[in-house]
Amino acid sequence: MNVDARRERFASIAPVVIDAVRRYLARRTDPATADDVLSETLLVCWRRRDVMPAEHLPWAYGIARHCLANAERGRRRQARLAARIAVLDPPPQAIDGPAPADDELAVALRAMRAEDAELLRLWAWEDLSPAQIAVVLGVSVNAATIRLHRAKQRLRKLLAPAGHEDSTEGSRP
Amino acid sequence: MTDDDLRTRLRAADPAASLPPMAPQQLDRLLEETMSTTSFPWRRVALIAAAFVLLAGAGLLFLRPATPTTEVLPVPSAVTVDLTATGARAKCVEPTAEVLRDSADFAFAGTVTGIDGTVVTLQVSKVYLGATAAQVRVTQEDGGASDTMLGSGTFETGKEYLVAAAQGSILICGYSGEADAVGLRALYEAAF
Repeated sequence: MNVDARRERFASIAPVVIDAVRRYLARRTDPATADDVLSETLLVCWRRRDVMPAEHLPWAYGIARHCLANAERGRRRQARLAARIAVLDPPPQAIDGPAPADDELAVALRAMRAEDAELLRLWAWEDLSPAQIAVVLGVSVNAATIRLHRAKQRLRKLLAPAGHEDSTEGSRP
Repeated sequence: MTDDDLRTRLRAADPAASLPPMAPQQLDRLLEETMSTTSFPWRRVALIAAAFVLLAGAGLLFLRPATPTTEVLPVPSAVTVDLTATGARAKCVEPTAEVLRDSADFAFAGTVTGIDGTVVTLQVSKVYLGATAAQVRVTQEDGGASDTMLGSGTFETGKEYLVAAAQGSILICGYSGEADAVGLRALYEAAF
């Protein structure tokens, strides 16, 4: 494939990738960081376009996940950059929270292990199958399937009306 | 609660649900910026390419021929040759041994023993081509005229130079310069 054809291919799929990654980031970080990580993610996708699989969204989420983790690590530097971006290129608008805030769900997700909550987000928000989640997280399909199943069960328990007090696993007598 | 119910409830809490699509021009700009950024290996290649362009540019500067204004003095006793290094006019091509062999009628290696005003005196250590000479005098028109020599660009006392000349005029354009200028001695070895 020549260079132009590769550019064409990338340019044709990029809008879908950008939209998906933007949402992925909007769900997980502040707008300024999201902007920064989005362009970084896209850049990595562009550099690795030769190894981009046919199913590119889980692959792109996986890259975004790493870029976001990097950004979170460099939090102090990030804060300075975010301040600069806010001055030079203010984010278009802040994202509204969900219309009727589901406090119970938010509390339940926070109560879960971060890994489990992330699995559920990838499943419900990014609309990924266990196999795709496995690509994002870099784990086996089997592991992703089992972990997702367990995470769902835990969330169910946390949300169950009777389970407010003492239904979490491990706290049971 | 079924899987579907759970998913529906989670989706209702999706913070990106109300995220408006990116403005087309913003998307275009992002895409353009991304695709105009070269990846690391290419960046290195580009740097090397840029270095070559710079070198080529410098080469063009060196490769301009000097105007022959003074004739080589007859050297009956092979003692002293007079040459000039004057202003440059046209652009030159990359120096090759063939061109050097064909165009030069006198070539030597020598060390500058003295500079008196515009006249540079060189003690010849080796004659590659032409009549044997022990000493060569080069007349430089002014400081600016000689900066087309390889190396520092001017004759400096104590330094060794490789100098080629045709009809009494120094060949610049990469054909004359400091003896340790990159590739110059090899060029002389190849030509003569």
